[in-house]
Amino acid sequence: MKPLRIALTKGRLEKDTINLLEKIGYDCTAVRNKGRKLILPIGDGEIEVVLAKAADVITYVEHGVCDLGVVGKDTILENGTSFYELLDLGFGKCRFAVAGKAGYNLYDGFKAKTIATKYPNVARRHFENKAMDIRFIKIEGSVELAPLLGLADAIVDIVETGSTLRENGLEVYEDVVPISARLIANNASLKLRKHEIEHLVDRMEDYLKETE
Amino acid sequence: MKAYYKITPEGTRDYLFEETGAINDVTSITTSVYRSKGYHEVKTPFLEFFDEFNMNTGAIPQEQMFKLTDNKGRLMVLRPDSTLPLARVAATRLQNKTLPIRLFYSQTVYRSNPSLTGRRNEISQTGIELLGASGKRADLEVIVTAVEALQKIVKDFRIELGHAGFFNSLANKLSCSEEIKEQIRDSIQSKNYSQLGTILDSLEPSETVEAIRKLPRLFGGEEVLAQAAPLFKNTEGEEDLKYLSEIYHSLSKLMMGDKLIMDLGLVQRIDYYSGIVFSAYVEGSGDAVLTGGRYDNLLSEFDAPMPAAGFALNADVLADIMLDSGKSFDEKPADIIVHADEGYEMDAINQCRFYSLSGFKCENSVFTSREEAVKYARENGIKQICLMNDSPETIDIETWENE
Repeated sequence: MKPLRIALTKGRLEKDTINLLEKIGYDCTAVRNKGRKLILPIGDGEIEVVLAKAADVITYVEHGVCDLGVVGKDTILENGTSFYELLDLGFGKCRFAVAGKAGYNLYDGFKAKTIATKYPNVARRHFENKAMDIRFIKIEGSVELAPLLGLADAIVDIVETGSTLRENGLEVYEDVVPISARLIANNASLKLRKHEIEHLVDRMEDYLKETE
Repeated sequence: MKAYYKITPEGTRDYLFEETGAINDVTSITTSVYRSKGYHEVKTPFLEFFDEFNMNTGAIPQEQMFKLTDNKGRLMVLRPDSTLPLARVAATRLQNKTLPIRLFYSQTVYRSNPSLTGRRNEISQTGIELLGASGKRADLEVIVTAVEALQKIVKDFRIELGHAGFFNSLANKLSCSEEIKEQIRDSIQSKNYSQLGTILDSLEPSETVEAIRKLPRLFGGEEVLAQAAPLFKNTEGEEDLKYLSEIYHSLSKLMMGDKLIMDLGLVQRIDYYSGIVFSAYVEGSGDAVLTGGRYDNLLSEFDAPMPAAGFALNADVLADIMLDSGKSFDEKPADIIVHADEGYEMDAINQCRFYSLSGFKCENSVFTSREEAVKYARENGIKQICLMNDSPETIDIETWENE
């Protein structure tokens, strides 16, 4: 039998997921001592962990080369199209928010506004319902710079504690949507390997309920 | 600037040798199943008017279609689907034919997918349409035909059954705009559950909203019927559930229990379906390899109301799976090459015809010298050479000694 392949978003989500897998009884030594390896067996080899960048986790799962994936809701909202979202894993919590210079009213006046963001799809969807005239500019990193430098009126970005915003004289105008890590599954895998996947998901779900 | 003269457009490709072998195999195997059940082949144009694919039932999202204009400026598309053209044929040229009409096709469809996703924009499909028949007998015939076609190609697959009525009956009870209903259907259709959640959260909480939220998770065997029963109590969905259960039980006689699953959240990508819908999944493909269902309202769009059902099978994906499974489609080299010495060219052509008629695979040498012909034969695995001159002779390439 082929091992069940699960793609993890490298970094914090990977660590939190490995903790969770260990708590429900999988031996994750190989991942703990991974070196530079990108595909690693866990448990008795019935599961294989694949380490990838967030957006790639979705790509691998959509194409079915990985059966399952752990990825932030932020990435799903920005890039996701076709897969099952099975479980809210409860970690990696933060939110999408609209932010800008403290004291400025983004929703006032007749001027067309400019929004800088790393997440153009999320930003566009949010403002589409507001009937505002908005121009979007994609920025790759440190989006906070855009309003400070005068490139944009506001940003749409992930906010965790808000301390970066405060330190730079910015404030949250509006929350867009809460975010946390999700377990996703390929459509075909869920049909072809239903029992294995359900077995894993049930154990995760039971543990998450217990610790709630 | 000729920047693109050596590449094919994204999402398309050239099929070489064994790839054409595999795809021909898939199409001939599946279409022979259709033909054996009394279905007749139809071919429709590559190029059709945009209007045909932009109707109330069965609109294909315009961003998924390749468009061009004809010499009168009318909008045309590359055929994005075969069911609509076949429905058009049935409603027009076959309007006086006795029902039911059984049609099958084997042709490509074109979809414009987002770039850099590795998806195919040109897809070979085969499929059937059973027009002018409804009810259990017709639905079972269509599904069983799909199963039989797949069985001839792959050993292991899952058939998933659903019913378009579940979503429709819940959506009718929702008090929100048609636009939002469409968005909800869209997100169930594409299995985009995060988007579905976001939309449902924005609606007033109600039993119906919760039922829609549960819909995508209602899949599996027998147990699904019991789980779903309370959700559809006193709605039109109750009848649909009863019908799905009947079909499920009839089919489980044919298939091993766990190969057949029900998914109440199964809504096909194209929205003309009105009754039973089904998909097939195969190990090695992350997406369904076959989709189909009943579309009783579509033909009235062509002013020929009649019930109908059918399916389309993705021949490209199945051909890839066939190749990956190690089935060999390597073409055999020719058995013999016929080389003419100067002045005997026509004798060589005649000799080739003789060999072909006798059942050999035979190539005509286009080289001027014997040595070149022998070199070519060696490189291509041809075992014998026949030399045409005053006294024709056949020599094993192995024993040929360079003069």
